Amino acid sequence: MPILKVDIRAKEYLTSKGEGLLVMSDLNFEIKRGEFMCIVGPSGCGKTTLLNIMAGLDNHYYGSVLYTGERTRKVNSDRILIFQDLGLFPWLTVRQNVEFGLRVRGMSKSGRGKISRKYLEMVKLGKFSDYFIHELSGGMRQRVALARALAVESDILLMDEPFSFLDAQTRDTLYEELQRIWAITRKTIIFVSHNVREAVCLGDRVLVFSASPNSKIKAVFKIDLPRPRLIESEGLMSEVRPIMEALKPEIGRSHG
Amino acid sequence: MDNRIGHVGLIKQVIFYIALLLLWQFIVALKIWPEYLLPAPISIGKTLLCGFSDHSFTIGIFTSLKRLCLGYGVSIIFGSILGVILFRYRTINDIMGRFILSLQTMPSICWFPLALLWFGLSELSIIFVVIAGSLFSITMTVNSSLRNMSPIILNVGRNFGAKKLNMLAWVMLPSVAPSLVMGFKQGWSFAWRSLMAGELIFNSLGLGFLLNMGRELNDMSRVIAVMFIIAAISILFDKLVFGRIEKFIQFRWGGIK
Ligand SMILES: Nc1ncnc2c1ncn2[C@@H]1O[C@H](COP(=O)(O)OP(=O)(O)O)[C@@H](O)[C@H]1O
Ligand SMILES: [Mg+2]
Repeated sequence: MPILKVDIRAKEYLTSKGEGLLVMSDLNFEIKRGEFMCIVGPSGCGKTTLLNIMAGLDNHYYGSVLYTGERTRKVNSDRILIFQDLGLFPWLTVRQNVEFGLRVRGMSKSGRGKISRKYLEMVKLGKFSDYFIHELSGGMRQRVALARALAVESDILLMDEPFSFLDAQTRDTLYEELQRIWAITRKTIIFVSHNVREAVCLGDRVLVFSASPNSKIKAVFKIDLPRPRLIESEGLMSEVRPIMEALKPEIGRSHG
Repeated sequence: MDNRIGHVGLIKQVIFYIALLLLWQFIVALKIWPEYLLPAPISIGKTLLCGFSDHSFTIGIFTSLKRLCLGYGVSIIFGSILGVILFRYRTINDIMGRFILSLQTMPSICWFPLALLWFGLSELSIIFVVIAGSLFSITMTVNSSLRNMSPIILNVGRNFGAKKLNMLAWVMLPSVAPSLVMGFKQGWSFAWRSLMAGELIFNSLGLGFLLNMGRELNDMSRVIAVMFIIAAISILFDKLVFGRIEKFIQFRWGGIK
């Protein structure tokens, strides 16, 4: 049974002019437990919208999302969404940020400490647990958001273009780290990207979306390269090319 | 902001005040105005010493501060509750929002006739005016800062399973803390101004009363001395109390040093 079965018949927004904007329709796909799935598409095609629906944060759509076979319309810490601008809490330290989900569950201080230590070690921020968010670099903030999401031991991680604001070096290390963490924790990851190479480097599968309005899944690519994959490796290129081919006309369409 | 006034800044400030005193003394020495209109700085100092040694100033300060704390305390508690209610219930906000805004923009001195008729010349009247002058501004702040909460932060809270009390204590309150502090500071300054106006009119103890007494006795140095005390208290709360809280919040929330 797939861990997530998405069947969105239609998703509309009401624009400020009072008209309906059909963002996407007839979107069907399944995600297996433990899979790393990447989604690429032109900007504005509804990737963030889709993540919000999958996380249960947005229920205004026609269709259904089945989580482990059951219909779900509730937000739940089984599925944690890491927002594009992270949504870290500036008033809390790194450790307190990571322990947030555990604290609202009423877990004891010692229990929380054990878990936050484990995941802060995993994202290599053990030394920074008492720092505040504004004292960290962009890459470190990404790691905090990741550790906070891992700490509640959710089944699914939804990531919205997480590395788009980082410099190239930081990004490259994070590709390796994310693959390592995914391999250890066996999470199901759904990763939205605007960079095909990144998607090929990370994903077991890459979904290509067509441009909005009314975007759909244009193509699905299976990536069978051995892991861990390095972003600069030559082998990626042969997989990147056909995806680029599929994506290019869509990007042209979204600007035109 | 205070960081910019470092060591050198402090010295410059001291020099400024000394210069001001000298200028003042100089003008007095010119004898353009009689002593009872423009007393020398030294006689202000004498009045201050005198007022503190016979405790009349101390009593005045404490009376005023007691009223202020009572009135402002009530405003914070009930103003906040009302603000949360307006935020939580849309219809109440739609019906009462404008009404409360009009109450907030009313100059607090306009509450005096009403307070007099309701409570007479009593302690209650003064405190009522302090409350009326500050409560609604706190309500407006609490309401608007809750409305301007970042939807991302709220969604993160929801996603991690925070509900009701957890959401309030760990997400909503901290995320609005900076604007709340700003609103509370504004509320304090409204309360303080209302209190001074009230004490001048009601004429019963307090700093405003001391100020009035100076006028009735034709004692200019007393008037100026009390004004000094009032200014000192304003600065004390503004810079020391709220200034510190603001600095802490700015550092913690925004990383501004
Ligand atoms: N709250 C909203 N109200 C109206 N339109 C929206 C809203 N959020 C997004 N949209 C529109 O829906 C489309 C998809 O947005 P989004 O999911 O953010 O795209 P992506 O993440 O792929 O860039 C865009 O055209 C955007 O303008
Ligand atoms: Mg987006």
